[in-house]
Amino acid sequence: MSSKEKPTEVLDVRGEVCPYPDVKTQKKLKGMKSGEILEVLIDYPLSAERIPRSIEKQGHKVLKVEKKGTSEWSILIKIK
Amino acid sequence: MDTTLMLSGLVVGLIFGFVLQRGRFCMNSAFRDIIVMKEYTLLKAVALAIIVQMIGFHLMATMGYIQLNPKPLYWGAMIFGGFIFGIGMVLAAGCASGTTYRVGEGMMGSFVALLGLMIGGLITSGGALAWLDSDLKSGTFKVITTGDLGVDPGPLLKEGNTSLTLANVFGLDPWIFVVIIAIVILAVLIWKRGGEETKLEGTLYEKVLKMGWNWWVTGIAIGIVGIIAFLAFKSYALGISGGWFGFLNALIFGDPEKLNWFTFLVIGVVVGAAIAAVIAGEFKLRAPDAKRLLQQFIGGLIMGIGAVIGTACNIGHILSGIPQLALSSILGGAFIILGCWVTAYIMFMRG
Repeated sequence: MSSKEKPTEVLDVRGEVCPYPDVKTQKKLKGMKSGEILEVLIDYPLSAERIPRSIEKQGHKVLKVEKKGTSEWSILIKIK
Repeated sequence: MDTTLMLSGLVVGLIFGFVLQRGRFCMNSAFRDIIVMKEYTLLKAVALAIIVQMIGFHLMATMGYIQLNPKPLYWGAMIFGGFIFGIGMVLAAGCASGTTYRVGEGMMGSFVALLGLMIGGLITSGGALAWLDSDLKSGTFKVITTGDLGVDPGPLLKEGNTSLTLANVFGLDPWIFVVIIAIVILAVLIWKRGGEETKLEGTLYEKVLKMGWNWWVTGIAIGIVGIIAFLAFKSYALGISGGWFGFLNALIFGDPEKLNWFTFLVIGVVVGAAIAAVIAGEFKLRAPDAKRLLQQFIGGLIMGIGAVIGTACNIGHILSGIPQLALSSILGGAFIILGCWVTAYIMFMRG
């Protein structure tokens, strides 16, 4: 990971159920500044696919979705 | 119950569970996401599954392989039961099918919700809340049948079934509705296509077994499973809640006679979803905090009460009943969605 992609903040929503991972991510994004990077740690498959989709529709950039382990993902989002 | 029937329930359940997990098919998400996130992906899958089954059921019935068996129109019970079922599924973080397949993924919150669903169902069908169930199905709220309206049940219904459908209430050929509804929904799906697809890159093996399916694959697959279910069980297509009620009943009374076809189906769903999740590397035992677990349990309890009063869960009504054009399921389904929206608004959209 280059220094450019270093997350400004990390949001851990592992263990959370539908749709809290999405709702908490949205809330977190609203409090961040343009150009900052949020890393979301998540273990709920549906949201791991839905969050990148809805984030991109809002104009933010999804830098990377990485599968970290069994039902664990990291999503890197650059705020627009 | 004969072994062939038990086995068929189990096999259909295995396939259903596999498809549910791969397609992440949950009606709570489907309906809630429309208002909370302006996300239509799962809704499209639900719509497609409904029309695949609608065409399939009517084709099979016309050819004589099955007889349609729509549920009776207890209008008061459908409204009340449907509405509270919708409230329950938002709290439980999954509808009856979503909760069931997530148990197979190792989500403890869904397991707790499932316990709630079974208990809620039992106290309503024969326990402390049985009065509410019978009050909502008698007197002012008594069932409305084809006899009450003086119409003919129509050619495709099971012998003795006097439930109202979109077709028989107007005395029209059901195919008129099947064709019109299918064309309208397909037109909307084609017109609004794009934007919801997950961009899948990988081999066919990875696309099928490692990543979540695209909505149209899921919709068609669920629809086909529903048709297979109707052909296998003959009396109805897919259902979830009734299977779990039978499961707890059999457990409490130690009476295997209380198990039904749907019980084997739901056991199959859990196992099928677990197999899919293990292959995809998505099986993990996990639990949210205690507060959330309690919320999910209460949600399950309310779903169980709603499913008994409303005579079906989201699967029995929306997935299996609406394709039979049953007025009961259209009404029950509409109020499930309404209950879901009101609760989702209060929980996620204020402030």
